[in-house]
Amino acid sequence: MLEIRNLTKRFGDFEAVKDVSISVPDGAFLVLLGPSGCGKTTLLRMLAGLELPTAGQIVFDGQTVSDGDRGWTVDPAKRNSGLVFQSYALWPHMSVRGNVEWPLKVMNMPRAQRAERVAEVLTLLDIAALADRYPNEISGGQQQRVAIARTIAPKPGVLLFDEPLSNLDAKLRVEMRTELMRLHRATGATTVYVTHDQIEAMTMASHVAVMNQGRVQQFGTPADLVDHPETAFVATFVGTPANNMVPVVKNGSGYRVGGRHMPLTPPADECLAMYRAEKMTLSDNEGERTLPMELVETSAIAGRVMITGLSEGLRLTAIMDTLPNAQIGDTVQFCLPAEPDGWFDPDGERIG
Amino acid sequence: MKVLTATRLGAIGILMSSAVFAQDDLNALTPEDLLPLAQAEGTVTVYSFTSRIGKVEAAFEAAYPDIDLQGFDISSTEQIARLKAEAQAGVTNADVVYISDTPVVLTELLETGIIAPYVPPRVADRVPAEYQSPLLAQRLSTKVLMYNEEANPDGAPVSNLWELTTDEWRGRVVMVDPLQRGDYLDLMTEIVLRSDEMAGAYNAQFGATIDLGGAANAGEKFIMDLFANDVILVGSTDDVNAAVGVLGQENPPVGFTSYSDRRDNEDEGWALQVANGVAPAPGIIFPAVLALSAEPNNPAAARLVIDFLMGDETETGGPGLAPFYVAGDYVTRSDIPPHPDAVALDDFTAWRIAPAQTATIRAEVGDLILTLQ
Amino acid sequence: MADVAISGPGRRVFFRQGTMLKAVVLAILVALIVLPLMRTVLFTLHPDTIRAWSDVLVGRLSTNLFYKPLGNTLLIGAVVATGCVLLGGFLAWLVVMTNVPFRKTIGVMAALPFMIPSFAAALAWGTLFRNDRIGGQVGWLQGLGLEIPDWLAWGMVPTLIVLVLHYFSLAFTIIAAALATVNSDLVEAAQIAGAKGRRILLGIILPVTTPALVAAGSLCFAGAVSNFATPALLGLPVRMQTLSTRLFGMIEVGQVGRGYVIGILLVLVSGIFLWAGNRVVSGRRSYTTITGKGGRAKRFDLRGARWPLYAIAMAVLVSSTVVPVIVLTASSLAPSSANLFSGWTLHYWVGQSDPSFAQGIPGIAHNDDIVRALTITLGLGMAVAFTGMFVGLLASYTTARYRAGWMSAAITQISFLPLLVPGIAFGAAYIAYLGAPIGPFPALYGTFALLVIAATGYLLPFSVQTGRAVIQQVGGELEESARITGAGFFRRLVQITVPLAVRGLAAGGILIFVKIIRDLSLVVLLFTPTMPVLSVVAYRYASEGFGQFANAITVIIMFISIAATLIANRLQSKSQPWLQN
Repeated sequence: MLEIRNLTKRFGDFEAVKDVSISVPDGAFLVLLGPSGCGKTTLLRMLAGLELPTAGQIVFDGQTVSDGDRGWTVDPAKRNSGLVFQSYALWPHMSVRGNVEWPLKVMNMPRAQRAERVAEVLTLLDIAALADRYPNEISGGQQQRVAIARTIAPKPGVLLFDEPLSNLDAKLRVEMRTELMRLHRATGATTVYVTHDQIEAMTMASHVAVMNQGRVQQFGTPADLVDHPETAFVATFVGTPANNMVPVVKNGSGYRVGGRHMPLTPPADECLAMYRAEKMTLSDNEGERTLPMELVETSAIAGRVMITGLSEGLRLTAIMDTLPNAQIGDTVQFCLPAEPDGWFDPDGERIG
Repeated sequence: MKVLTATRLGAIGILMSSAVFAQDDLNALTPEDLLPLAQAEGTVTVYSFTSRIGKVEAAFEAAYPDIDLQGFDISSTEQIARLKAEAQAGVTNADVVYISDTPVVLTELLETGIIAPYVPPRVADRVPAEYQSPLLAQRLSTKVLMYNEEANPDGAPVSNLWELTTDEWRGRVVMVDPLQRGDYLDLMTEIVLRSDEMAGAYNAQFGATIDLGGAANAGEKFIMDLFANDVILVGSTDDVNAAVGVLGQENPPVGFTSYSDRRDNEDEGWALQVANGVAPAPGIIFPAVLALSAEPNNPAAARLVIDFLMGDETETGGPGLAPFYVAGDYVTRSDIPPHPDAVALDDFTAWRIAPAQTATIRAEVGDLILTLQ
Repeated sequence: MADVAISGPGRRVFFRQGTMLKAVVLAILVALIVLPLMRTVLFTLHPDTIRAWSDVLVGRLSTNLFYKPLGNTLLIGAVVATGCVLLGGFLAWLVVMTNVPFRKTIGVMAALPFMIPSFAAALAWGTLFRNDRIGGQVGWLQGLGLEIPDWLAWGMVPTLIVLVLHYFSLAFTIIAAALATVNSDLVEAAQIAGAKGRRILLGIILPVTTPALVAAGSLCFAGAVSNFATPALLGLPVRMQTLSTRLFGMIEVGQVGRGYVIGILLVLVSGIFLWAGNRVVSGRRSYTTITGKGGRAKRFDLRGARWPLYAIAMAVLVSSTVVPVIVLTASSLAPSSANLFSGWTLHYWVGQSDPSFAQGIPGIAHNDDIVRALTITLGLGMAVAFTGMFVGLLASYTTARYRAGWMSAAITQISFLPLLVPGIAFGAAYIAYLGAPIGPFPALYGTFALLVIAATGYLLPFSVQTGRAVIQQVGGELEESARITGAGFFRRLVQITVPLAVRGLAAGGILIFVKIIRDLSLVVLLFTPTMPVLSVVAYRYASEGFGQFANAITVIIMFISIAATLIANRLQSKSQPWLQN
């Protein structure tokens, strides 16, 4: 079990991580998801032992490895964890084999056993043929595999990844995703994975912690996040395409929804209504629940069409079976379903 | 048998290492007694204000092949600064100090216990008492006005120091910067101390009583006028010698330098000669003294060097004194005859400095010169 | 496997991370740099010496003691800085932006003068232009029968010329680097907008490189005002004093208090101008960040001016590099500098002592003093290269890894403080600092250790700069990833950091080595007869009129400097498979 309790990290006056508490069972695949600067990498570095928390504890399997309140920490090397850096951090003066072997040397693993383990992980990652090359002689994807091989060679109980795929092109990224999941199943190591890409999170994670401005917005399974987003931030950050969020304001006796009066019964005078893209439609005529918007984007996705409209800063996306009969720049009518899929207060908290 | 004796003597030499002796005991030893101790020490370091230490080094090592003499040619001014700094640091580099600048040496090195006097017992009865105390003077040296005798076959072109302040000698008087060389500061100080004589000489030269202007006395007035007349300051006496003495010059300058540098006329192609007749005096005559550092690293060898520098029992003092037995240097040993080519000491008109008196106003004169530069 | 087993005990972190390391580094820097300077100031405030302040600043001596030398110093600083920026900027522009012939040769030669000790050029000047004003040997030109006026032989004019020919190299390096980063897109955009060469130069390139020009100017200013060798050799004979020669003179005659006061004032003068330059630069927006990739812009076509400009550039470069080398070499062989190219003898190099020759001084190969000085100088260079790189790496590692906190800021500031302190003032400070025993520690006056410690402190800005480059090369994550494996500090150092950094370390070490063996201003006061270094021995021979010996020694120093630089380049290009491709 990996447990994070009330973890806080301050750099001077700046609070990078605020009171984070999460716990996942052994073998979990935890993804820390959030936009850049949200504190997820700092959290990861604290897990690795590279940073000391300002407050709070990190507990691996019942043993506290970092305690910010007591100013106590277990050395990075002694917490049975391994970290794959965003830049891979391969040592350029060592061959692929050298890179993988060195941490084992540091562990004082006997030579024969070491050779065996190196061969094993190189094979596992399908890079045995590159063993004698230097990092600058292999491609980015191969470097990534070497970095992973180097990290898993000592068989860490906790594997940490810092945006490992962000430097790869789109196709490689999909391949590596699958590879990482296979690896996770093969090693069974508890994995913590940092990314800003919600698709990676949705596809790989057993648990996701969505972070923003140093706080965990929501912690749960990928399905939880999509089905029951707890904050407007989560609702608009996860899902493909993301959910639509329309402001609703009480106006006299009725309610103004995205600029037009609509028959709605919101739980508060001022709030946000969430609509899933797949429930939105386009209509040819103005209706009771239509919003006129400028057509700005269309794109084909898996046999369906994603249509995006823009009006006075409000951006709406609908998934339809066919393209509308309109050009980019034309005004089209977005039709909201009768009941929104959720309500949020103006601060983003879910209220219904 | 012979081998055995030599070995035994060697062993005794090592056993009797100089550390066993108190300094006073060492002071009483003859050079023969000092030698085995000095050989055991093996090396000795000398700070010398004259470059002639190079010749001494060669001669000493020829006489005592087992002892390595390390001679350093360092001006007196710099020796004083260094010895003080070394003493402050608790470091002793030099064993023997061969230095002029006695006004400062007495107050800043001897009284403060940085150096100690030593008179080799071998020559003690042949050096006048005035040259044995407070420090042993090896010889008298000079800083006097010299001219080029090739260009002036009829004698000195100058008969009165005040001529040097006239237009004729504008930019044609050379000396070493008195702020860099204490001998020259002593010369300037002596001129101030002899203000009455300078005032008289002024009258003799210009036929009028001196108008002091801003100066405090005739000596200061002379120094101010000399500097105003574009006196050329150089870095070393050799530069003065070359400027004044080099053969083949049509209108050579005059300069204050060591009378004894005339010895190099032949080797260097110079025609230096002293202007002994100049009024009121051509310059100063001052002692060059030898001393031990207070706690020498090589006490026996240090004493041996001083003994060596005082000359041996031959008529003109042998190799140790040879570099200094030259015209213009006046060896203090009474049994060594004066050098035949030099003006006899009694006829030499240069002022004898009185170190204690010089010391009183030396710094003031130094500051005066600083304002003139 | 999935269970998490902690393989070792934890430890208590008593302080914030890195506090211990920062404290250690800070303590080293304070001991190396802050204490000597403070000690100097305290010395002058002592009741016995405080009078020195009024002597220097307001007394009747102050004009000669301080204000005149100050005027000379500022004049030298201003003219040399301006001259260097113009000359260095002109050459940098030629090399980087135009199609002048043999651009690479010009580039290489323009970087050379800074490798040659500044007293080499001064000695060479004397050998050529010396007239008979102060007696002794005349120079070659006078020997040819030319009448060399005093103003060309001595004093301000030759000092300015020699210093410009030395420091322009520094300005060139800085400005050329800045010009090289001027994005070609910027120039091309201006060309598309219809601007012509002159317009582009004045409207685009000049403003963009202004920070570099100011930086070059203020560094040249600081270098020139603190230079000791050139005014000492060319100015002192005609009583032209600068603050650094005054400081030297005062200490040499034992007026230590006045000397220290002048030293403190010299630090202030130099510091104020560097600070002001820095303010000008940092007050502007930094342009260097707005660079993209972009290829090299088309070079300005100089057309008919190509060869004339080439000739001008080469005239400057030859006279600042080739001429000194030839003149010094010839002079070390010629008995008379008036007949530089005749009567050559190897006496000054390998002759035995001969009473009729140079007062019996043997050739430098048989001169124990010089041989010992050579040994000590090389030892000093190597020791300082080692200690300098060690402290430099430690300081830059600490500030790179633990950026936050006042201690890191203090480390950065202090490590660059010696830039403001002229070498001769730094030397004086060290005499005040370690010239007497401190508590249980013995005084270091006259010891090799003093030279090493002072030189390490003095060169810290350079070693920290080099260390920083090395650290950047190694990168934070490379080191962290090694740390995670559990490798200890020394294992990481030996197996990860050093192999990656060996090029940078070697280059930095050799840079320091060359800087210290050709330095005069720092060691001229720390010198003792029993601990001689080559540059001071050369200076003393020169000031005592034995130019040939001085020049022979200088030729040796130049030879070692150039050889060391070549070895560094060799080392750097040595096969490192991970760097190919």
